[in-house]
Amino acid sequence: MKLVELGTEDLARYPFLDETGEYIRGLDLSVEEITRAEYHEVLERAKSRVIDALKKGTIACEFYNREIEILSFPVALVLIKATKIEHIISRYALAEAKRVETFLLKEKRPIIPIMFERVLNIEPIKARDGFDRLHLEYKIPLVDFLKRAVQFHTTSWRLVNRVIEEGFVLVTTTELVRLLREEIYEMIRSRLKSSSVIKLDQRLRDTVDEIIRAAPPIPAKFGIFSGEYPPCVTKALELLETGQNVPHYGRFLMTAFLLHAGKSVDNIIDLYPGVPDFKERVTRYQVEHIAGLRGGRTAYSVPSCNTILSNNFCFRNHNCGTIKNPLQFRRRTKKNS
Amino acid sequence: MSEESLNVLKRAFREYYFQRDAIEIPTRIEEREFGYLPFGGFMTRHLKLKNKGELTALLVRESPRGVYASCSYYEDPSLPMTEKGWKSGDLAFDIDCDDLEMECKKDHDRWTCKGCLLVGRGIRPARCPSCANTKILTLNWSCKLCLDASKDEIIKLKEILLKDFGMTRGKISTFFSGNKGYHLTVENSEFDALDQRGRGELANYISGKGLDIAKLGLSKNADYNNMVSRLPVLGEPGWRGKIASFFDDYEFEGERDDGDIKSKIANYYGKLSPKKFGAIIDLAIRSRGAKIDSVVTIDIHRIFRLAGSLHEKTGLSKKRCDDLNSFDPTTDPVEIKDEPIKVRVSMSPPFTLRERTYGPYKSEEVILPLHAGVYLMGNNLAQAVNS
Repeated sequence: MKLVELGTEDLARYPFLDETGEYIRGLDLSVEEITRAEYHEVLERAKSRVIDALKKGTIACEFYNREIEILSFPVALVLIKATKIEHIISRYALAEAKRVETFLLKEKRPIIPIMFERVLNIEPIKARDGFDRLHLEYKIPLVDFLKRAVQFHTTSWRLVNRVIEEGFVLVTTTELVRLLREEIYEMIRSRLKSSSVIKLDQRLRDTVDEIIRAAPPIPAKFGIFSGEYPPCVTKALELLETGQNVPHYGRFLMTAFLLHAGKSVDNIIDLYPGVPDFKERVTRYQVEHIAGLRGGRTAYSVPSCNTILSNNFCFRNHNCGTIKNPLQFRRRTKKNS
Repeated sequence: MSEESLNVLKRAFREYYFQRDAIEIPTRIEEREFGYLPFGGFMTRHLKLKNKGELTALLVRESPRGVYASCSYYEDPSLPMTEKGWKSGDLAFDIDCDDLEMECKKDHDRWTCKGCLLVGRGIRPARCPSCANTKILTLNWSCKLCLDASKDEIIKLKEILLKDFGMTRGKISTFFSGNKGYHLTVENSEFDALDQRGRGELANYISGKGLDIAKLGLSKNADYNNMVSRLPVLGEPGWRGKIASFFDDYEFEGERDDGDIKSKIANYYGKLSPKKFGAIIDLAIRSRGAKIDSVVTIDIHRIFRLAGSLHEKTGLSKKRCDDLNSFDPTTDPVEIKDEPIKVRVSMSPPFTLRERTYGPYKSEEVILPLHAGVYLMGNNLAQAVNS
């Protein structure tokens, strides 16, 4: 049942909805037709969507023509998919999700819980009276909350800092939007990953090349290292390489480990530019802090496997054997080789 | 351990496993990984058992020192860990009195320096005070106070699972661990599919790890009235309510409490140094949270002692105790018979089994009921004497 009737304005704002797909199918257009002169503006908007996403990490929310805006989304997906670069796909998906977040936060209608239910398939229940002073308006099942909140790294998303009642976690409307953003990011990313690459004509191929040139440099491949890192460090490097967020603890562990493995501060900072929230000044400070060059001037040691496990960043596999610290992994694999 | 002692233990364990229904047969047996620790050998893991018959046969054949089953369910539990194919897993919690920093440890724990054989009482020092050796053997003992404290923790844990996490009583199983604490598992719930990180969040919530006082509404920069309006009140759910209830019970020296909880929290937050206030919050966390071993909850690949099996250090069984109030950990899990056995005890603090207190002993031969002899031999404090 449709609780809110969506207009073309909504389809332009929320292009990932099934209704947008139906609307586009109704137009009966093929990719080849998009390159025709009358769709010039659609292609241009798709290009600007992608290039803004890659360069600035955001996509402009203003649009003057709903139809162009709606059509530009699937075209942008085709272009992004054609780059076949994981890091570009992630960065674009995040910018699209942020665009949706901006629109949702401006919504006056009760569209947020409805959209939440549509996208996450979880019905947010109105919180009982008494939580309004904390702006906690809804509650969602604990397990559903946990599966998503583990992606976020701030203390306010930690379960211990949440109001929990009989298997439900209370959330603000803004937090519903933040959860929606993450779900949309994952949805666009997985759609892009699972879709097949469409054969493009020369003009579109040129556009794809332009997009690749506009993308920020791909972070250094962890493959340049000797490949003898423990799975926790490898996981952090993989996340960095694919432009995904690395949890705070993962960054700390990876940095401490690489410093102990003899990498320089600059080597480590070079790994970061692909992450969505990269700021070189901040990253440099953090890495130098861990190296003991800043703050308390104490170089941090690599945490033990048990500490890593209790901070939820252990990806132990059979190669780990009975090691108690990731640093022992190198010695172990060296011994076995 | 002497050959004779090993034989006595093996016989006692075998006799127990020969009884019908000595152990609880786990559900979904063919999806779990099994492991066992034989007398005089190393741990065997990655076993797949098809049914109750295979498990009973293993126990009768091996009469192991310890037998374990995974809380996780796998596509094929017999494959190496990375190929098993994790499907889901029961939630598991472990409470051990060694983690409770009990005062009585100073009286009953012992340590022995491996270098000069000096024996000391209480918490193990980092270095031997006599020869500075760092190789030190420890004996972590448990007394009634320790076991009662473990029971208090498991009761708090159960409350959190029921009230905060909304778990169903019927899905929760509680067991005495067979040694110094309790195990709790939750089966067949919506939590089964949680990965390590989700389980870590549950573990941190239960133990209060990472509780941020700013999230309670406390702030040095906020306007007083604005801050007070956001502070927790009595009866609120979650940690906010736990903190409020702690402050309600807590009596500050030389202070009269006549205001409401919010003002009480705000006043002490303003009056005390951040360090002193932090120490009070730590007390609140200790008092209202449950001290669990987080690693056990988070590690989905762990194998857990099988319910009903005997603990290798004590000979006591991992006993179901869903009614914690009436459970007596020094009587109910004593399964081994009481036929007399002569043992030579090197040293032992006092201990109680089936309402009888034994010891302390020091370099002496005594005749004990078999279950008490096994308790000492399992702890490597006694040897069987040929009679």
